Amino acid sequence: MGLDERREREKVYQPAEDSHLLATAARDEAAPTDRTLDVGTGSGYVATAMAETGATVYGVDPNPHACRQARESGIRVVQGDLTEPFGDGVFDLVTFNPPYLPTTPEEAVDDWMEVALAGGESGRAVIEPFLAGVGRVLTPEGRVLMLVSSLSGFDTVVELANEAGFTATTVDQDSFPFETLSILRLDHE
Amino acid sequence: MKESLMEIVRCPMDKQELELEVIQRTDDEVLEGRLVCSECGEEYPIEEGIPNLLPPDMREDAPA
Repeated sequence: MGLDERREREKVYQPAEDSHLLATAARDEAAPTDRTLDVGTGSGYVATAMAETGATVYGVDPNPHACRQARESGIRVVQGDLTEPFGDGVFDLVTFNPPYLPTTPEEAVDDWMEVALAGGESGRAVIEPFLAGVGRVLTPEGRVLMLVSSLSGFDTVVELANEAGFTATTVDQDSFPFETLSILRLDHE
Repeated sequence: MKESLMEIVRCPMDKQELELEVIQRTDDEVLEGRLVCSECGEEYPIEEGIPNLLPPDMREDAPA
């Protein structure tokens, strides 16, 4: 890897346990006829896993470095904020591994890795607008797979999903020393 | 970006349709150009094949 490429990768969240859990669930869920969107696609890891099923996969990320890396992985990528740049009812499946680490304002540093990781004081600063907006871009039968960490309050995230008009089901779970990671499936009520 | 993207993208501000203006393209992709909202007229750049559909305030606030 060249120095420029290394510097570029340092600005993009690279796949970890959470990415792997979501990628596995997404690969199991996606169908070849699906049009799917990976929100906060980062390196494009989850999007690439879904593309293996034959699904038509799009990725969106606010980080220009992530967009370049995902594009190099062959993902159709848009630089944008969550589901805002898309039309109504266009996706059969949306996946999201959100920034979820609870972060105090004092801890905040203004760089792209922070944007990929930090979820504000509650850990839900990005999860909340995602849940409020994702229903609009889903088809009537569309579903969401999102990663939820115990650090950002699992029960509260389920409540927010219910308030946004979804039923929530846990489809996979894995425990680590400091957190439990769950894959939540959301369907329109 | 592939032109088929036009079927699913909308202006992030008012969700209206976008018009594609091509500056440079290959056989199957637009490399440079812009997307212009048919309603509010906001312009979104396409650079190195990636359309930037961040709302204008987020485009300016971005970390380095």
